[in-house]
Amino acid sequence: MESALKDKYSIVGIGETDYTRGSGRSTRALAIEAIRNAVTDAGLKMQDIDGMLSYHGGDSVNSSTLAYDMGAQLNFYMDCSGGGSSTEALIGLAIGAIEAGMCETVAIFRSMNGYSQVRIGGTGSRASTPVSGPGLMTRPYGLASAVQSFAFSFTRHMMEYGVTSEDLARVKVAHSNHASNNPKALMKQRVTVDDVVNSRWIVRPCAHLLDCCLETDNATCIIVTSAERAKDLKQQPVYIRAVQGRGTKPGGDFHYQHGPISRVAGHYVGPRIFDLADLSHDDIDVTGCYDAFTYTVVLQFEAYGFCKEGEGKDYIKSGIVNLGDKRPNNTSGGHLCEAYTHGMNMVIENTRQLRGIVDDYCPDWQNGNHTYDYSEGGCRQVRNVNTTMNMGWASPATGSALILRR
Amino acid sequence: MTQEQEYGKMIPEPVPETAYFWEKVREHELWIQKCTDCDHVFHYPRFHCPKCTSSNLDWFQASGKGTLYTYMINHRPAPGFQDEAPYAIAVVQLEEGPRMMTNIVGIENTPENLVLDMALEVTFDDVLPDVTIPKWKPA
Ligand SMILES: [Zn+2]
Repeated sequence: MESALKDKYSIVGIGETDYTRGSGRSTRALAIEAIRNAVTDAGLKMQDIDGMLSYHGGDSVNSSTLAYDMGAQLNFYMDCSGGGSSTEALIGLAIGAIEAGMCETVAIFRSMNGYSQVRIGGTGSRASTPVSGPGLMTRPYGLASAVQSFAFSFTRHMMEYGVTSEDLARVKVAHSNHASNNPKALMKQRVTVDDVVNSRWIVRPCAHLLDCCLETDNATCIIVTSAERAKDLKQQPVYIRAVQGRGTKPGGDFHYQHGPISRVAGHYVGPRIFDLADLSHDDIDVTGCYDAFTYTVVLQFEAYGFCKEGEGKDYIKSGIVNLGDKRPNNTSGGHLCEAYTHGMNMVIENTRQLRGIVDDYCPDWQNGNHTYDYSEGGCRQVRNVNTTMNMGWASPATGSALILRR
Repeated sequence: MTQEQEYGKMIPEPVPETAYFWEKVREHELWIQKCTDCDHVFHYPRFHCPKCTSSNLDWFQASGKGTLYTYMINHRPAPGFQDEAPYAIAVVQLEEGPRMMTNIVGIENTPENLVLDMALEVTFDDVLPDVTIPKWKPA
């Protein structure tokens, strides 16, 4: 059913810190910088923020702590436990909080020293996951990180549909081409299929080193308020058309228990988001598809119905996801090449695309003047972007989606 | 150095839900649960049926036969697994319905050897005097 709140809320501010591997600062300091950048972007003052939402894995800073640093008096805040796919879900919760009259303007942030402190991909002493509950049935077998636990879904998918390492590498190639036009990207170097398949194995057969995202120190912020209030702010408003998630597969724990293991949460989230938005795949001009690993992109394009099951590899190979083609994906370089932010940077990028002021290497990008020359070190603004979609991923079993328009 | 330190890997610490499972594993038997209200068979152990939430559950001995549902070969070893990498972590489709995580023993863990849906059978690895871990090998 079509959402009654469609286009009634907006993203009005976006901000991030530099993406580094060694911030030398606390998550508290990082968060303040990202929020300050987003507030400035929106044309607001810190004290205008009266709602805050964040997500973390025990590796961040609380909203209430930041409120002291911001001189803000909050009418609403929550710090949620969660990783990928929380960005989209928290945008939905921000709308709910404002709609309920609890607050007016919400800053959503994620702050993480994801390289120098708590590494999601860590398998050593800095590994992030404590052992409890179901972990007792998996950890004795040497399961330690996300790339490993997600891979079960993809090995089966690869074997059933004949997906090769080269197919996966093409995801990285596309995103690296995009990152080469992004001054903020941690990895701006364009890579080839050979570079990816010749990098060392992380988990076989699903991921070489270059199939994995870049653990990063960073903070990011997205500010949400009503479309009505957005009209008076600094930026061209970007409207929240619809949001859905975090949704799960049935029996979401031990995701390999239920149904085809290669069927991920997007299978359930997808039909709902298109219904809520009253739009179809053809309306989407740019996608942001959570690329923790190259294979998560393939699985999600299939799950959300951008192609048929088993044809994710062909969707990538067709080139449709490249800048200059019909529906570019992760134009900032995403998690694979820009930075690993638990999903925030891909929503931030789509917001910039919709505003038409992507911060690329075009000399006058600030004024929305782009060359649309997508060669290395050039432009990454997509022409005539009206509608974008984000597909967030927490695990094969949990995901979220967001559709934005201008 | 204690035996545990020497073993170096994560040791399953039974919790109330899983204690019976690990106890039977120590006797080299694989036991799983079934709901007596809706007949749903499941693993890992719980106090409630994950299909109908009934608390009326029975334990029964599984056949120990299954197939290789999926796997991945880990090149970044977890603590204690350094000498074994690359090693496979696999999901076995039990004959009775549920799936369980495991290591595959008895064959070199290569993509050539690990053929999806190949027949497997359970085996029991006494890793410490009081700790046994179920693993699976080609049938
Ligand atoms: Zn039942």
